[in-house]
Amino acid sequence: MAGLATHLPAYLIFSLVLFSFGLVAALARRSAIGIFMGVELMLNGAALNFVAFQALRKGVIANDNWLHGHIFSLFIIILAAIEAAVALAIVLRVFGTRQTIDADRSDELRG
Amino acid sequence: MTLADIFVAFCFLLGGAAAFFTAFHPNILYAAISLIGSLVAVAGLYGALGADFLAAAQLIIYVGGILIVILFAVMMSEDIYKRRFFEGAKKYIFPVLAAALVFGGLAKVTLDADWSVATKPDFEPTARAMGWALVGPYALVFQYVVVLLAGLIGAVIIARPATKMQKFTDDEGDN
Repeated sequence: MAGLATHLPAYLIFSLVLFSFGLVAALARRSAIGIFMGVELMLNGAALNFVAFQALRKGVIANDNWLHGHIFSLFIIILAAIEAAVALAIVLRVFGTRQTIDADRSDELRG
Repeated sequence: MTLADIFVAFCFLLGGAAAFFTAFHPNILYAAISLIGSLVAVAGLYGALGADFLAAAQLIIYVGGILIVILFAVMMSEDIYKRRFFEGAKKYIFPVLAAALVFGGLAKVTLDADWSVATKPDFEPTARAMGWALVGPYALVFQYVVVLLAGLIGAVIIARPATKMQKFTDDEGDN
């Protein structure tokens, strides 16, 4: 386990683990909140990838000092904040109109 | 094994276990609470990778803000204290298969690739460089964060209590 902190594949596999569990949660959960938590997990896994590449492959991908990976992760965090606000608003609205946030029972738009 | 390695291994274990519970715990409240573990672990890994500003932003925005919103929404979930593991177990088969497929494929690509040119993370403060980047090459993208305002206004409009007209149409739709 020596040098784990600078071992790039370890970070990639960990973010892949987060992404896979997020995918399971997003697909399998019945509650809209559970789906939302799965999406958050997937976003976190992707954002961690950007930072890991920025830190451990510096000078290989981009040869300047603009911290591109950090900026992308920052935008991911910002968009996740917006997403949380909109998702909670939608959940509030759905809960207000039909007293449940079960995604399987909100199927009026099904063809 | 240095202290950084132990810290990173701890973050991997914490984040992986918490992500597992987030995906599989039948009780949505515990799933939301274990999401904290994943988010904190990612913040710790940001720190280990030398991204001090991002680690702080992750803690403040995700753990402090988004998670509060999620927990608030979970409190409205009707089946918080109803454990429905066995009736829901069948629903997990296909998602787990799909996730295993994605995991296997991407893990194979990751492990097969040549990562020999790895550099050490540097531990300089990053806030100044990120600030210059946001008004430099990323100035235009930064302007698009205006969607934050649009999104928040949209959220307020969506979450507003229903007016009489909307209530009427909603009642009609429930038949």
